[in-house]
Amino acid sequence: MIGIPYAEALAHYQSTNSRDLKESDMATDELLRAFHPDYREDSLVTLRVGPNQGNRCHRQLAQLLQADARIDEADLAGATIVKTDVLVVGGGGAGCAAALMAEQSGARVIMATKLRLGDSNTVMAEGGIQASIEKGDTPQMHLDDTLKAGHDRGDRKLVAKMVMDAPDVIRWLIQQGMQFDLDEFGDLMTRRAGGTSADRVVYYRDYTGLEMMRALRESVRNSKIDVWDYSPVVELMSNESGHCAGAVISNLKDCSYVLIEAQSVILATGGIGRMHLNGFPTSNHFGATGDGLVLAYRLGAKLRDLDSFQYHPTGLAYPQHLAGTLITEGVRSAGAHLLNGKGERFVDELKTRDHVSAAILKECAEGRGVRVDENTAGVWLDTPGVERSNPGILAERMPKLVELGKKCGINPAQMPLLVYPTLHYQNGGVVIDEHGRSTVPGLYCVGEVSGGIHGRNRIMGNALLEIISFGRCAGQQAAEMSHGRGHKKVTIGHLSKLRRELAVAEMPMDVKGPMLFPECAKFEKDADYEGFRRKKR
Amino acid sequence: MSESDEKLVNVKIDGREITAPASLSAIQALWHAGYPRIKSVGCLEGVCGSCRVLVRRAGNSEVRTQLGCQTLIEEGMQVMFLVFPRPTHHTYKLEEINSSWEVQTKFHQIFPEASRCRECRGCNSSCPKGIDVMRGVELAAKGRFREAGELFVECVMCDLCLTACPELIAPNHVGLFSRRVTAYFHTRPSNLIRRLEGLQRGKFKVDE
Repeated sequence: MIGIPYAEALAHYQSTNSRDLKESDMATDELLRAFHPDYREDSLVTLRVGPNQGNRCHRQLAQLLQADARIDEADLAGATIVKTDVLVVGGGGAGCAAALMAEQSGARVIMATKLRLGDSNTVMAEGGIQASIEKGDTPQMHLDDTLKAGHDRGDRKLVAKMVMDAPDVIRWLIQQGMQFDLDEFGDLMTRRAGGTSADRVVYYRDYTGLEMMRALRESVRNSKIDVWDYSPVVELMSNESGHCAGAVISNLKDCSYVLIEAQSVILATGGIGRMHLNGFPTSNHFGATGDGLVLAYRLGAKLRDLDSFQYHPTGLAYPQHLAGTLITEGVRSAGAHLLNGKGERFVDELKTRDHVSAAILKECAEGRGVRVDENTAGVWLDTPGVERSNPGILAERMPKLVELGKKCGINPAQMPLLVYPTLHYQNGGVVIDEHGRSTVPGLYCVGEVSGGIHGRNRIMGNALLEIISFGRCAGQQAAEMSHGRGHKKVTIGHLSKLRRELAVAEMPMDVKGPMLFPECAKFEKDADYEGFRRKKR
Repeated sequence: MSESDEKLVNVKIDGREITAPASLSAIQALWHAGYPRIKSVGCLEGVCGSCRVLVRRAGNSEVRTQLGCQTLIEEGMQVMFLVFPRPTHHTYKLEEINSSWEVQTKFHQIFPEASRCRECRGCNSSCPKGIDVMRGVELAAKGRFREAGELFVECVMCDLCLTACPELIAPNHVGLFSRRVTAYFHTRPSNLIRRLEGLQRGKFKVDE
């Protein structure tokens, strides 16, 4: 990495007092094209198999979408069969909201989660959740901001449903026992997300996701929902007319396959950060390996925007073992500047995330970043500046940031942190309608696995909103649709079609999907799970 | 400052002798040495509570409970991953508490053990977040739920205090109960309520 050596950059930082922003020399479009990772030409391929055949897709994701399945019929001989009304796959915020509403609507619900209940990106969310509740703000402005930030590629219908639902989502969360930061009179405090026109993000410190997950997890635990932990789904199943009709679970506790037959399936499997697209570090949870996309695609669900991902501007750049860890946008929202190795501001910090990230990548690529070693460069996040203009704010509003500082051996009130964009969010995903229905009957997709709401760029606070808004809706719908319909025959028959298509397209059959676990965890070598290994055909 | 010239340390994780750079966490060290690890791994940021470990440091007989992703390895350190305990037997639904006047009575029905705390401090010494758990239980038992809940802001529900408590109080669930009833009965933001009323009256429309 080129750049200004750390010590020299620190001296620049300390000696520069002017924090005026020079006019940016590039328009957003031009900047994105030149520096945003989505536009790296060599990272995209054209899909050759499946419902999105002919569409552009990130190379690493395409490899998994066009991978062979982990199982075939022979693996399922003698497997236990369990029946339920609604199967929810995923134990994060979207899954919990869906499961709670389905149960409340009278359905029998099984929630299968790859790790444990609550192990998700939700628990790590910091910034907050959007709802237009302030005087000068309206749902219309929320809609306009969301679509504009997504470069007008979002689905207006989905966004309209979400913004109108937002205040009720906050109310529902309070009823689940979630706390929010309140002012002295008990009103919800709000802060502004980058690229938006009003203070609209409500939050709990920089622990919004943790607080949400604590409350939801306890609600689920105290309900009749049957939670299956350590139970990743390896394949969806369908009935005689192509409706999604359940899933194959691999039970990591006793190394066996279980078939869950359900009237409807809700996928809430989250994102793809642990695929480390383009070699970027990630802010994501250990389990974020894009399983839901692969499962849904194989069953015939249409996906969208597979070439669009969010790189959050402020991932920690150094120390190495914490690289990619998220620093909330709330810090910039509170006024923190980004400064290059010369101690200069180079971007309006509250532009949209894709713009700010591209600007950081530009600084580093052109040698104005702060250089740590041959692999590492970044820019300063001026946390001491925020503390100076608002003494005590870091300790009071951002305890997670202060904790992170301790781990780095840095007091963020006195020293700036070194940041670099981190792979944060999958903008696209499974195509859904306002009820969370995919193009496959009986298959619902909610949360990050779905696409269409955020267009090509998401704003802070819309993810936590989306998971609850669409989670609730899909849960209720799925429960209502599950009365009286029975499946004649439930199979993994779609796999023979998949394998035929893969063979015709001459795709390599040695890649198996879904990924389930990041490479570093060595699931494929773990002797504990030998029973899942297939003999080479 | 690259990895190659970093200091290496020797540790023992789940009985395996491992040599790894000192900047790694217990989980990263295990992976670094090529060992698989899937269970007890979560957010890797210290907020999900999955990676519960027992830690003993060189020259010290004391065994501490920590989070594996937050435990940087040291020379001579021994680390053991803990399985997750059975879920607590306490159950309740917020909707079944009819009014805020009943919260104290309900609390003692749901968590009868909370008032039997023997002040052994096992919860406090097991907490990887340094929460004054025992004080929280005491406050909750007195009905001071808002105050009790404030102590549990950093709680990640790792259940280590639940494992440690000889009276089966489930202190983390006591803390979470305290936080939840505070929101459920007392969070009534006028700005939110005003907007909900406006929406109900059809005052806000969006162009679809």
